[in-house]
Parts: sequence; structure tokens; C-alpha cells
Amino acid sequence: MTPQTLARPLAARVAGLPEPEDREANPPLSPAVARAAEAALAAGHTHYTDRPGVLPLRRRVVETLGRRCAIELSADEVTITCGSTEARFVALKQLARRGTTIACAASSPSVAAVARLIEVDCTAYPDQSDPVSVVYLTPADEPDRIQALLELAARAEAWIIWDMSVDAAENCFHPAQNPGLAPRTVTIGSFSAFLPGWRVGWMAGSQMANKLRAFKQSVTICSTSVSQWAALGLEEEA
Amino acid sequence: MITNPNIPPDVRAVAADGTQLRYKLMELSAQYPDAIALGRGDPDLATPAHIIAAVNEAVRQQRTGLSLVAGLPELRQAVALKLRQENGLPVTGDNVIITTGGQEGLFLIMQTLLDPGDEVLVPDPRYTSYDEAIESAGGKIVLIPTDHDDAFNLRPEVVEAAITPRTKAVLIITPSNPTGGIVTEDRLRAIAEIAVKHNLIVIADEIYEKFVYDGWRHFSIGSLPGMEERAITLNGFSKTYAMTGFRVGFVAAPVNFIQAMTKVKALTTGPAATISQYAALAALTGPQEPLHEFQRIYAERRQIMMEGLRAMQLDFSEPRGAFFLWTNSASTGIHATELSYLLLKEGRVLIFPGTGFGENWAGYLRISILQSTELLREAIERMKPIIARYRAAH
Repeated sequence: MTPQTLARPLAARVAGLPEPEDREANPPLSPAVARAAEAALAAGHTHYTDRPGVLPLRRRVVETLGRRCAIELSADEVTITCGSTEARFVALKQLARRGTTIACAASSPSVAAVARLIEVDCTAYPDQSDPVSVVYLTPADEPDRIQALLELAARAEAWIIWDMSVDAAENCFHPAQNPGLAPRTVTIGSFSAFLPGWRVGWMAGSQMANKLRAFKQSVTICSTSVSQWAALGLEEEA
Repeated sequence: MITNPNIPPDVRAVAADGTQLRYKLMELSAQYPDAIALGRGDPDLATPAHIIAAVNEAVRQQRTGLSLVAGLPELRQAVALKLRQENGLPVTGDNVIITTGGQEGLFLIMQTLLDPGDEVLVPDPRYTSYDEAIESAGGKIVLIPTDHDDAFNLRPEVVEAAITPRTKAVLIITPSNPTGGIVTEDRLRAIAEIAVKHNLIVIADEIYEKFVYDGWRHFSIGSLPGMEERAITLNGFSKTYAMTGFRVGFVAAPVNFIQAMTKVKALTTGPAATISQYAALAALTGPQEPLHEFQRIYAERRQIMMEGLRAMQLDFSEPRGAFFLWTNSASTGIHATELSYLLLKEGRVLIFPGTGFGENWAGYLRISILQSTELLREAIERMKPIIARYRAAH
């Protein structure tokens, strides 16, 4: 008989988590990506990569951030992740302390669900008594809300997560352009708009970059090697 | 805390964290082009050609879109079939989730199972990623000692003695990283009875199941009566098919646990890469001759390394499985972390110290056999004078 139910209760934190949203996403694969994947397989890139991710892809992330947002980072501050989902989880889990609050500029079901999993509060409208430890923002948020929450982050010495995975449009604003905020700003992004099933994302910057990397390693060791090389093909085409 | 001045400060700084220590030594090793790496458990052998061909075909056919979070249905069913036929587990595809490698499987299990303060019984020595996964979920590790004289088998009476009202699970790792020990069928049967008696969950990490030697055979505790509702089986493709870079593994458990794990996975990493899942499907359903060749190669290498260690008069328990020789280095008189550093600095051989697998193992080294026979012999020759010199000096 097929086993149905575990003999002990599951962790309390999983009660109330939303059902997973299985999305259909299979955009046409570009020839450059297919060539890059085939070349990676032929070259034997089928074993663990370095823990941070392959260096050429990390350099591409640095170049993109420099070009789009005029911020300077080194490849050492970038970690390739299994999609932006992993980057978001790793950053929130490591930066949001238990008993504190994540402040978002707009309602974000995905961040609210992660907050439930890591047992912290999440609100789009924090009041002064909320112990905010992380401000989560995206380029798609209203500029006034972004500004208000960045001021809150400065006052509260909160971490800032700037999620570029939700808006791939060119955008020159970035919280880390403010030197006072840069050390506390983690940027996350992904290649999922064009490569959703390949699971390639990234997280970059902040004083916590090494700790975030170490935690990512404890979750998945590294990201899929062929996917990382394929993403480079995407970048070459762009 | 290690204060030995012969160990560089940057190594000393991470010496208390087994995982960080291992990575630090790998970083140091990368500075030496001629270093022979007997550290990381990444098979040096090429991924079988039919697996590569299957991935290329998936790319050509553009079967690369996002999969379901729990994995491709055909892969879940293929895994369930393997578990029924090879391991005797009474499962279907609904009992299986595809993970982003075995490491993520472990992480998700702990996140889904443990409440803060729950205790997990963990054999010692151990791969310290277990610590991170348990602690990240707020759980507490309770170490269950294993020892050389018992071939690092797990003793049921020691397991039972460690149970408290907060014990939620016992972790079975067979074959074991780092010791190469296996938990024998008689011991597993006794542990299963203990699990039923105390209402514990059994988490069985069977990632090295295909690599057992000298007539020993792997046995899955999940196949035993009474385990259907309490066994969580963890496995993967990385070690078996030399495909660590694809990051694909699986967990089998009762349906309600798999459903909860799927919710957690959707929030932590999302589905495993689709091309990796097609690679895994080809691995499971394609020809198994490459695996048989891997088994032959590893058995030969194990023999070479055992002979080398005997020549160095280093004591070890003959590994019954996995890729490692858990070697007693106490006769050198040097702390294992220092000895590892010296072997790397002077001999250009990367070997992990026992302290990378638990703080109690300063007199042990973990030596992997994941290099060619030629490089293994070369490594042995490089190690011999260093071991002899320091043993004589102490």
C-alpha cells in the first residue's frame, strides 16, 4: 500500500503555506543558448562548479549592473543561484531575524510566503513600532514608496533587498547608488524571463555577500553547471 | 578552538566549521597547479555518454521549460519504479519529489519536519551539511558515536540510549560519508523496531548505495515492516552517475510529507532544472553498463589506496562502501588539520582532516579515491615521506 501520512506531525511552519503555483513557461530557446549548452556538455561541464558559480557569468552580472544601474561590484561579490527563487529565499532567511518584520513597498505574495516559512512578519505598511530588519523593493514599485522605505531602512539600519528579477526593463535607479546604503543592499536577479526551466539567478553585493554564499552552498551546493554556461549564451546574444 | 601556530590564520579561523574548513582547503589547493585532489566527493569520471545525448536531445526539442515544482511526472514515476524494484519500498510517483541535488533534499526534509528544539540523532563522524540543515530548521543535533572497531556501523543500543522526549528523527547514512561504513541489515532491523517503539521518523541517506565492496550489500530500512509511515529516503544521481553538476536528487516519503515539501521547495529554490531532470531520467532508464564500470574502477582504486595506507603504517577500517578511506592519523602525533595543511603545502596532496566531519576527529583524515590509479599512486608516493618524517619527529 502506498504510504500516505507521516507518523509524526510536520513542522508548524509548513501549515498555511500556499499551494505551489506550477507555471507553464517555455519560451522559444534561442540558438545561442542551445549552442552554449551543447558546447558546455561537450566540454565536460557536468560536475560541480565553483561554489560562487562560473566566473564568466558572474562577470556578466557585474557588467550588467554597472551598465544598467551605474554601481560597481566585483565578481567576488556575486553568487549564481538556482533562479531568483533561491536568491530571494537565501537573502530573506539570512537577513531577516526571527521576531522582526520585512517591509515591502507593495503586497508581495511570494515574499509573504517566504516570511511565513522563516517565521518573520511581513507588511506593506509598517508602522513605527514594527521592528523592520529588511526592506524588500523592486524596480516596479512606486517611486514614492521606494523612497519612503529607503528612508526607513536608513533610520532602522535595515537590510535592503533590491529584486531586479521582477522587472527586466532598463532602469538606472538602484539603492546602492547611495554610498550609505550600498553595504546593506543585496541585489537579486535572474535569467528566467528567457530561461525559466534552467534555474539560473544571482545575488550580488552587501557586507553579507560571503555569508549569503555560504548559506546558498548549504542549500544546493552550486547551481546547475550547464545552465550557467547556457545563460552566458543568452548574454552573448543580447 | 585550534591555536596551533603552524596552521595559517585563515585556516584556523574556519577550523571549527567543518564545511568552511573543507572549502578553505580547496581554495588553498587551487593555488597549486600540480596538487592532487583527494578531498571533495566529486567523481572524476565522465558523465556517461547516453546521459549527455539525452540532454542534447531535450535542448534540440526545446523541452527546457519550467517543470512542475515536484518534478517531471515521468521522472517521479521512474524513481518510484527503481525504489520498488531495487529497494523494496512500497511507493508510487506520488511518494517522490525531485530535488536540486541530495543536499537540497536534506535541507527540505529538515525544514518540513523539524520544529525548534526537535532533536535528530546523527551518526558521528558525519558530513557537516547535516548540521547546517538541522540547525537552519531550529533543530538540535544529538551525536551517536560510531567507531573503528565496529567498522563504523551504527549500534542500535547506542541509538536507543540517546532518545529523549524531544527526539523526532534518527538519521541513517549508509554507506557513510566519511567513514565508508555501512549499517548492516541486522542493525537496521533493530533500529526500525526502536523507531516504531519510540514513534521516531527515520531519515535514510542512501546516496552512496551503488558503491559497496567485498560482497557487502546495501539494504534500505524503508523496505521494512512498519516503516511506510515513518521512513524518509534520500538519494540522488550525482555520485551514482558522475553527474554532480546537474544538481538532481530525490526524496521518497509518505504523500502528505511530499506535498508539504513541495510547498517548501516552491519557496526556496523552485523546480530542479528541467534539463537535469531529463539527464536523470536517461540515467535511470538507460544502459547501466557505465555504472558497472564505475563500480569496477572504484573497487580497484580502493584497493590501491588501502595498500598505500598500509605501506605508510596508517590504520583504517576497510570501507565497505562509498568513495573514502577514513584513516587514523594519530600515529603521526599531529592534529589532523595541521597534517592536512602540511600534506597540501609540502606534498601537494589535498586531503580533508577529520575535523571537517566533526570536532571529535582530530586524529583522522578522509581520503577520497576520486582520481585515476596513476594519480592515486603518485599521491601515495608524495605522502609517504611526509608521514614518515612527522611520525619520527613526534
